Amino acid sequence: MAGAIQYRNRKRKKIAINKIPMEEKKKWFQLDLGLSKKQTVGGSCGCGKSSGGCNSHSLSPSKEEYRISAEEFDTAVENELTETTPPEPRKDGFQQVFEVKMDRRTAFRKLTASLLVGAGAVQTSCSVVTGEETKEKAQIDWEEQFKGNYKLMTPEEKKATVDRLVRSYQLRKKKNIKMSSTDAAKDVLFGYAFNISKCQGYMNCVSACVEENNQDRNSQMQYIRIHEMKDGQGFKFNEADDNYYHEVPAEGHFYMGTQCFHCDNPPCVNVCPVEATWREEDGLVVIDYDWCIGCRYCMAACPYDGRRFNWSKPEVPEEEVNKNQHYLGNRMRKKGVMEKCTFCVQRSRAGKDPACVEACPTGARIFGNLLDPDSTIRWVLENKQVFRLKEDLGTEPKFWYFMD
Amino acid sequence: MNIHRFIIIVIVVFCVGSCKHKEGEYHSLKDKIDAETKNYQDPEISSESYIGDVKTIEIKEGDHRFLIPERKSQITSFACTECHTQPLGKMKRIEGEKRAHWELQMQHADEKAMNCTSCHMGENMDNLNSLTGSIIDFNQSYLLCAQCHNSQFQDWKGGAHGKNIGGWAKPRAAMTCVSCHNPHQPQIASKWPVQFNTEIEKERK
Repeated sequence: MAGAIQYRNRKRKKIAINKIPMEEKKKWFQLDLGLSKKQTVGGSCGCGKSSGGCNSHSLSPSKEEYRISAEEFDTAVENELTETTPPEPRKDGFQQVFEVKMDRRTAFRKLTASLLVGAGAVQTSCSVVTGEETKEKAQIDWEEQFKGNYKLMTPEEKKATVDRLVRSYQLRKKKNIKMSSTDAAKDVLFGYAFNISKCQGYMNCVSACVEENNQDRNSQMQYIRIHEMKDGQGFKFNEADDNYYHEVPAEGHFYMGTQCFHCDNPPCVNVCPVEATWREEDGLVVIDYDWCIGCRYCMAACPYDGRRFNWSKPEVPEEEVNKNQHYLGNRMRKKGVMEKCTFCVQRSRAGKDPACVEACPTGARIFGNLLDPDSTIRWVLENKQVFRLKEDLGTEPKFWYFMD
Repeated sequence: MNIHRFIIIVIVVFCVGSCKHKEGEYHSLKDKIDAETKNYQDPEISSESYIGDVKTIEIKEGDHRFLIPERKSQITSFACTECHTQPLGKMKRIEGEKRAHWELQMQHADEKAMNCTSCHMGENMDNLNSLTGSIIDFNQSYLLCAQCHNSQFQDWKGGAHGKNIGGWAKPRAAMTCVSCHNPHQPQIASKWPVQFNTEIEKERK
């Protein structure tokens, strides 16, 4: 491993030396990011020039390199097809990490990252000087690095990771949090209704949501948007204002809120390349923040602008952190992962209303169990004229709008 | 014979192959809700502990049975008859003296349509009275409101108007009319939004 890296470094040095004469001719400084490496390798013949002229360069080296014959292509495709193995027993933990086909470069990168974590862990655990806490931290980091996808975890594994995260927070911040890993209950399917004629645009829901879900205060991330729209013109999102600041309700306007609609056929879930987001049995569309790679495909796939991305490290003042957390809900996120409304999974699975429902001073928000024939949400769906946004897409949002 | 057998095999294969629905998959969300409601069993999640210190009473209106906050113990100077010893008609205001209930501003319907005795029972101030003069208990003041605001009453019973106390899970507890609306000024005043996103404002510039 170390030998391979050394070899590569030596090779790179050689290339750099080869390039010096050419670069000396230039009148400006050029940063070598290794982007030109491929071509230089193709053109290395010892003459020191990268263009033709010494006759040992082929005319178009880069094209030549990527050409592939028809037979080669066919065999590659065939290999790919025949290699799809019959369904295997469920993979978990280390298997998920190690039993993945990858090219050499990715493998090296992953191994290096893991080795660094490992080296840190080994160093701290072997050291006599470092305290017990540091060792424990390193142990937690090691286990968190190699844990599997939450969706595939057994209840014991779920409990273990939640315990690790609680302990980690305790070690780092000297504060206790409560984190749950409650699963979806049977015979529960969460649904939401929004009364357009009741909403007055006070935005209590937005601030309650931010506080409940530990959203980044620096970037002022908000899951809910309240759109101020002109009366009599229907939903015109391009003309609506979702960041107004004046006395509300404004004359001649109505208000409607959007957030994650927890589609029953969620397009965001289908596009996730690593299955870091999925629909739970009770209808909640959730994200495993530790499995998310931050590609933002889901953000692009969502037709409702329901998802948010952490462009920077989320910051919440310690005294404002909501310590009642759920693994799939409002636990602290990191930079570079997606997040969104979870219908406050930490509250809703415990029988409470989401924070926005509780905070709404007008009663415009109704939440409940769609499978319970006596629930208020069912009464609304059966007795009011309800509709959903972009119903023709077939996404089946579990978020209905209605009017008095 | 062979052809018959072939046709049967083709039909069987087609039927089996075309039915791609896995268990628990439905054509639409509505189908799913309808189908899964049939075998619905209470998930046994309770919101009782979230109701907290709110003292509640159970009411039954039509098919709906739910809890609402108890009212009488929340009224500051109940019972009213401790001051209102005589029927309203016999109580005369002394000129120049400050009125009792001076802080009350009536902004509810038209003065011609409503005055104090439209809701309060003049003869027995500890109770409310309906338009036809029958007694309505303070704890069931929603019945008084329902006389005029019938559509709101229907929505409230079903759960489309008003707010939950506690959570979505059983038992259902709902705020009553006067939990949000001041009966003397039922209109909810306009105000400023509780917050403004300065980051979005920056992005838009």
